[in-house]
Amino acid sequence: MIRKTFIKENKELWRDGRVRIAFAIVVLLLGVAIWISARQYQNINEQYQIAENTERAIWDNQGEKSPHSAAHYGTYAFKPKYPLSLVDQGVDKYVGTSIFLEAHKRNEAQFSAAADQTGLARFGDLTPDFILLFIIPLLIILLGYNSFTKEREMGTLTLLKSQGISPWKWALGKWAALFFPIFIVSLLLFLITGMVLSNLKDFGVFSWQSLFSLFLVYIGYYIIFINIVLFISLKAKKSGIALVLSLSIWILACLAAPKAASNIAEAKHPYPTRQEFAANVLKDKKNGLDGHNPWSKESKMLEQEVLAEHGVDSIHKLPFNFDAYRMQKGEEHEAEIYFKHYNYLKEQYSKQTNLYQSLAVVSPYLPTRFLSMAIAKTDYTAHWDFSDTAEDYRIATQKFLNDNFAQNSSYGEWSYQADADLWSKLPKFSYEPPELSAILSTNVSSLWILGAWITISFSLFLITSKTI
Amino acid sequence: MITTNKLTKKFGDFTAVDNLSLSVKEGEILCLLGANGAGKSTTINMLLGFIKQTSGTAEINGLDVARNPLKTKEFITYIPENLMLYPSLSAIENLDYFSGIAGKKLSPHELTAFLKESGLQEEAFQKRISTFSKGMRQKVGIALALAKDTKVLLLDEPTSGLDPKASNEFGELLQKLKNKGVAVLMATHDLFRAKEVASHIGIMKDGKLQQEFVAEDISLTALEKAYLDTMNYKEVLS
Repeated sequence: MIRKTFIKENKELWRDGRVRIAFAIVVLLLGVAIWISARQYQNINEQYQIAENTERAIWDNQGEKSPHSAAHYGTYAFKPKYPLSLVDQGVDKYVGTSIFLEAHKRNEAQFSAAADQTGLARFGDLTPDFILLFIIPLLIILLGYNSFTKEREMGTLTLLKSQGISPWKWALGKWAALFFPIFIVSLLLFLITGMVLSNLKDFGVFSWQSLFSLFLVYIGYYIIFINIVLFISLKAKKSGIALVLSLSIWILACLAAPKAASNIAEAKHPYPTRQEFAANVLKDKKNGLDGHNPWSKESKMLEQEVLAEHGVDSIHKLPFNFDAYRMQKGEEHEAEIYFKHYNYLKEQYSKQTNLYQSLAVVSPYLPTRFLSMAIAKTDYTAHWDFSDTAEDYRIATQKFLNDNFAQNSSYGEWSYQADADLWSKLPKFSYEPPELSAILSTNVSSLWILGAWITISFSLFLITSKTI
Repeated sequence: MITTNKLTKKFGDFTAVDNLSLSVKEGEILCLLGANGAGKSTTINMLLGFIKQTSGTAEINGLDVARNPLKTKEFITYIPENLMLYPSLSAIENLDYFSGIAGKKLSPHELTAFLKESGLQEEAFQKRISTFSKGMRQKVGIALALAKDTKVLLLDEPTSGLDPKASNEFGELLQKLKNKGVAVLMATHDLFRAKEVASHIGIMKDGKLQQEFVAEDISLTALEKAYLDTMNYKEVLS
């Protein structure tokens, strides 16, 4: 019966002109979205490669120069564009693509794509994740809202019931019939995406495994929508009512809940403003060692400690340049301050995320979105990870430069210039994003919530089907 | 094949079917006549297990319908006044689906044979049901009964709205099924068709079987008179 109903339903679906048009529109939109995203991805990757090589060449070719001047001259850490950002751009557009690494200061990522756009950016982009998260659930509603109500309205239910059908088997046949076209559309999208990514140069960390995981997450999301839409169709007396109810659920789940969750999270665990953050950092910096100020109380204390440690009575007698040593200690103090304040930001972000994730019980959109961005490596966690790695590199760079300054010059020798070959000895910045397994383990709560949504909605649908 | 014993259905204070006892054996057609609200359709719905009786029993092929709702449906084909099929599917696809969910695995050749036997014209087999008249849909219903090798045929006003030719063809199909040993219970307003096809004719009013005749033993005129008398009888009393 399941097979018979599945075949019958699919025949009916394909013979319905409205369904064919809706399908054609969705497939066309998906095609356009993939094409646009693939082009963007390729362009950005090319820019990334050019910028990274150019910036490194500038660094390597500084010639003879003071290491401290080089430290202030700085360099850039460029954020790589990940292949699956082609599917889900996440927060990439808003968080910036490169971080300027310089002495004494941890900078935010800059040059976000959103900053380069006009006010029209508020209308959003046609991206695959928009189609996957918003349009395909609408397609599910269009295909399934009258799945059961039409049987009542047409009068076929009477004949079906007189045949002694098993309600749950019949319902399962209808479920499978609705799932099948959605599965095929999704499979096509992901296969095309995989093939496009495999054929693009510099596709770096692309893995079919991650793409498949992303596919499974979206399939889970669609199963939830199919369950809900069919449950409503089972309970509603008329197709019109079923359509309105299904659309209301879509509005609540996909539009209202994410925005409300965002507002609640922001209100409960607010981020400090940029001014507050900068003021707090400055205040803490003043309470510690300033590497540039030899006259401060902290500098004098450091001087006494170092003299005692080396058993000499003058900083001129130290086997290294105390100015450079002090600057390094100043760097370490500043790095600690930045670590503390950025950790606070991360804690706030973590609290917001936890609250946001707990609100995922009210909408299957939320856990899906979290997982999608995480697997695509376009969520805030991925950005933090990159930002932290860049900061580690900045600290290591400053130590590399200060150590060279300290070891190769004497106290007061500010005119010291390092050899031209020093710069290329600094290891290149490299960033390895977290593996898929690590991403999934940090997002395990979203997986559980998505699983719970699937189980509960499917059970509800099956139990209700017995009342046909 | 079809037996009811003191079958009663009450909706609140209203008694739709009142102590109805009837029996339809293999190869018999019982036509139930009666005005709207006489209890004919309610009786059929109880035999189908769609509604539960208040008291009494309904049996199909010796099985209590209330206790064996799915098993008894294996023996039944039901054709309502307006048999609704899937409009975007063809006749053969509809037959394939409905016989399939009833557990019959039939080849396209067999499906075609049943449609032919039902009297549907061959050029209509592959046409969508949306283009079918009511009479043509009823024929697909009969084809379903044939495909299911049905033992019991329940008909609720099947000839209502059919033109005389279609109604006549439908009558002939019922005779065919009767000759195959199918027990038929037909609720109808159509005295002429009832007289023509039935083995027995019952007249219902107020949920009760007021009179029952052997069709051979009564003329159409006498049947009409009996029907009218029954309809007026209670009014005279009141």
